[in-house]
Amino acid sequence: MERITPELSTEEIRDIDAEAGHYPHKSAVLLEALRIVQQHRGWVSDGSLQALASYLKCPIAELEALATYYQLIFREPVGKHVIYCCNSVSCWMLGGDGLQAHLQNRLQISPGESSRDGLFTLLETPCLGDCDRAPVMMVGREMYRQLSRETLDAMLSELRARDGQQPMSDHREQ
Amino acid sequence: MLKAGNAQAMATITIDNRQYEVDDGQNLLSACLSLKKNLPYFCWHPALGSVGACRQCAVVLFKDADDQRGTLVMSCMTPVKDGAIYSIDAPTAQDFRAGIIENLMTNHPHDCPVCEEGGECHLQDMTLMSGHTQRRFQGRKRTHNNQYLGPFINHEMNRCITCYRCVRFYRDHAGGTDLQALGRNHQVYFGRQEDGLLDNGFSGNLVEVCPTGVFTDKTYSRHYVRKWDLQTAPSVCEHCAVGCNTAPGARRDGKGDPRQLRRVTNLFHRQINGYFLCDRGRFGYEYANSAARIYTPQAALTQPLIQTTAGSAKVHQSLSPADAVARLAVTIAQMRSGNRRVIGIGSSRSSLENNFALQTLVGREHFYAGLDERSLALLKLVDRIQRDPRVHSPGTPEIERADMVIVLGEDIADTAPRIALAVRQAARSAQIARAGELKIPAWQDDSVRQLTGIRTPLLVASAERTDLDDIASCRVRAAPEQMVALADVLAQALTAESGEIHAPDIAGLDTGEFTALVEQLKQARHPVIVSGCGLQSQELLQAAARLAFAVAGHKEANHRQTDSREARAALYLACPEANSLGLAQLCDARQNLNQLHRERQSEHTPQPTTLLVMEADLYRQLPASVADQLCAGVDEIIQLEIVHNRTSARADLILPAAATPEYEGTLVNSGGLAQRHYAVYEGSGWIQASWRWLADAAAASGELAGAELSGDEETHARLQSLARWRHVTQLSVALAESYPELAPLAELGPDWDQTIEGQKTARQPHRYSGRTAIQAERQVAEYKPLPDDDAPMAFSMEGIQFACQSPLQANNWAPGWNSNQAIHCYQPKPGAARLGHSSGQPLARKAVVFHSDSAAGDAARPTADPSDGFRILPLYRMFGSGELSNYAGAIASVTEEPFAVFHPQDLELLSLTAGQQIAITESGDRWQLLAKVSDTIPRHCIGVSTGFTQMASIPGAYIEREQIAPGDA
Repeated sequence: MERITPELSTEEIRDIDAEAGHYPHKSAVLLEALRIVQQHRGWVSDGSLQALASYLKCPIAELEALATYYQLIFREPVGKHVIYCCNSVSCWMLGGDGLQAHLQNRLQISPGESSRDGLFTLLETPCLGDCDRAPVMMVGREMYRQLSRETLDAMLSELRARDGQQPMSDHREQ
Repeated sequence: MLKAGNAQAMATITIDNRQYEVDDGQNLLSACLSLKKNLPYFCWHPALGSVGACRQCAVVLFKDADDQRGTLVMSCMTPVKDGAIYSIDAPTAQDFRAGIIENLMTNHPHDCPVCEEGGECHLQDMTLMSGHTQRRFQGRKRTHNNQYLGPFINHEMNRCITCYRCVRFYRDHAGGTDLQALGRNHQVYFGRQEDGLLDNGFSGNLVEVCPTGVFTDKTYSRHYVRKWDLQTAPSVCEHCAVGCNTAPGARRDGKGDPRQLRRVTNLFHRQINGYFLCDRGRFGYEYANSAARIYTPQAALTQPLIQTTAGSAKVHQSLSPADAVARLAVTIAQMRSGNRRVIGIGSSRSSLENNFALQTLVGREHFYAGLDERSLALLKLVDRIQRDPRVHSPGTPEIERADMVIVLGEDIADTAPRIALAVRQAARSAQIARAGELKIPAWQDDSVRQLTGIRTPLLVASAERTDLDDIASCRVRAAPEQMVALADVLAQALTAESGEIHAPDIAGLDTGEFTALVEQLKQARHPVIVSGCGLQSQELLQAAARLAFAVAGHKEANHRQTDSREARAALYLACPEANSLGLAQLCDARQNLNQLHRERQSEHTPQPTTLLVMEADLYRQLPASVADQLCAGVDEIIQLEIVHNRTSARADLILPAAATPEYEGTLVNSGGLAQRHYAVYEGSGWIQASWRWLADAAAASGELAGAELSGDEETHARLQSLARWRHVTQLSVALAESYPELAPLAELGPDWDQTIEGQKTARQPHRYSGRTAIQAERQVAEYKPLPDDDAPMAFSMEGIQFACQSPLQANNWAPGWNSNQAIHCYQPKPGAARLGHSSGQPLARKAVVFHSDSAAGDAARPTADPSDGFRILPLYRMFGSGELSNYAGAIASVTEEPFAVFHPQDLELLSLTAGQQIAITESGDRWQLLAKVSDTIPRHCIGVSTGFTQMASIPGAYIEREQIAPGDA
């Protein structure tokens, strides 16, 4: 599955060093380093973890502890688009669970899984802070609000159409 | 009013309408346990402090006498407060605790019958204590995959209750980095990043630290029985010289398997091991069960088999113990009549009593320590330094409280691991002191650890990387003579009136760092200096002593210590073997193997001579060529030994000697504390303590016709007293009378007939099962338990059962407390010394002021051009450097191959590459080693693995370039 070599790229090292300058202790940069690697590679493989551990001179188990604690650090490959589906109370009252079932049916996946074409990963999340426009989902860093089955289908078509132009769903504008 | 403990400030508290006086400054949980209240807990540990994670120790705190409702507080996080009112029994507290347990149990499997923790499980105890005896939860339980954690520890994560004790011990206390809490919420997982050996040398403590069966002892697993089916007795660890107390457990299988020893667990000793053992101590026991074990007497065949014997190794055949004793008796009778010289070779890993019996048999002038010249000289030097009234040997609690530690050359993480663990705690003493200033009690573990950036000054001077490097404030990698220079300059700086002290010339130590060190040492009130015999340098030991004397002088001049003990400097000198210092008391520096070899070489009138070797491998102490000559120069070799080794291969008669858990004896640890270990089980086959073989043979020799007619009076008297000894304590008393230093042995522990209210101490608990059936396969009748001739203890369940009633009881158990955590029931308060426990006796060595002996230089100092020769620096490994533990299966499976470490430039100079097999040849010996490279090893030095079975003795201190060459692939 590993497409990118485990060694950190110059861009990754540059980004990590820039972050490290902001903290008094080296241990504080570990989380940011994980985020940076994921931003470049889509997820954090065992090899990436190893590369980070040797660059930051920290025990690999410590990085693993952080990576597994934070749900938005992926230790498995994810699809190009990661869909965060809110399962909290406001969205649920307005039919969020039905929408999620519809989405799962369309993509033929359960939460935590990726679609066979490698385009979509579905994750559940407790609240996205947009209750007044429930039900909502987030794809990458983009919010989709007041969803219905129709708008959800449109969202999927739009994402499929967009595929190829924007490689990483988790891409952040710096 | 009940009292608990007797320390300084006291607080009067009310618990469930009764008033108690307890030590102030502790937490309420610790106070309740001191009062022997049954209050459940998980995450708290007396050595790890409180974090308030598990919520299990909740009690109710009332505002005042009128408050009927109160508030729930976690007792481990609540400091006892004078006048405060608490309730353990209040229904709100009871319900809360039961609810917590029930919640934990929703995910805990119902697998107690197949779980190895069952019967000594803290979780079982706490579940019952809180009254949760019915499961209501019907849902699915969370499950995890388990990891392979190496040959020592089993992993069963489904049983986890997420108390975090494992990582708090492993990471925070022992400094391990490869065990972490992974995941979160409902899915917290305690494990490694991937499968593999837990790489911290204290991982075995997880077995006891984990309150349930997540981490269990894998070596025990292979021959598992329940705790209640084990017989135990107090023992002392034989795998290094620290002298940790252990509680080995044994049981016979009833089918004739001679391997009875099942496991080793910690036995609390406040001054030494506290709650923790190292992995060599915990898993090294397997040597007693190894395939190399000797169970029956064996004699070498006089007629060689059809030319099969390779070299000098002999072919042995079993013989009956009576024949073996008779054979030894003949030798003794010849000695009696003056027709034979018998040379006794004693052992630093065997008890004082065994060595004394051998010495009594052969006479003091024929007794030699089973050590080479260099090793014995080092021990005698340690002994002389320790006699100086300006120093004392610190116990573990004192090391943990030290406000500065200087480690000079000794790799304590590998040669005295428990001391290294104490030094690791000392690294936090400054943090704890700072917390104290902020009114944060030391037991508030998480809060104290928030104070980052405060570290106790810790200087680690070593030949290569050590496991203490991560906590060292100053690391110095140097050759021994540079360490000597460093110690001397530090000592000078302490005593000098004014400045003008220059930093010694050591790479990596700049003037700023050195000035800081001097300042820290001047400021320190309780510095501890640690060194030892590891680098085999007498000069280093002397330099450590000089530094300690300077510290003592500085303390006296500047801190005005009123207590004379306080004014002494703490100097810990690590010795190599469990009874190194004991053996050093019995002989002078001349009585070593090299001296014996020289005497034998210069002897011109050959006389029939026997080498009587007791629990010592000559080939481990001497180069093979020298040992060969020594063996070839005598016409008989008789060996008393536990396991087969290269010496026994040449012996004409081998007698099976008892391993430490199989007999009673006294060992003297590095601190000069004489401690007694007791027989845990009866031994298998014809095994008996070495002194008993000697006593039997001495008696038998007296019966041989004509023996008493010849020989001198003195020999006769010696042999008679040896033949008369029946109980090991008689030897202890005789030792006490013969050696003033050993006088305390007379008061050590109870005599064999000293019962308590007419009762002996039971080795087996009440619930020991199968007593009448265990031997039924071979014999229907129930055998009478063997009597113990040495201690008032029974090899059965009859007698005293509870630890507080007898110092001999090692089975930690109290009603409701089945796990090893029952120990607090036998302490005045958690962490305090065991009730009724005899903690050994310090040797009564006469105080003599030590004078550096400039003549006693290290042998073979390099004088030649250093580019052509190399210094040998002995390097040690926890797994690999222990003579006996190398026979333990699990340990042997993770021991690396013998190696030699070079500086990169030296490797280039010799045209060798790392990873290559090389050979070092010296005076006919050839060592095959794996070449390794390390930029931390000093130039012109080779770090050579020491004590490994494949290359037992190490090359001499200096090796010419021509002697190092590529080896066979």
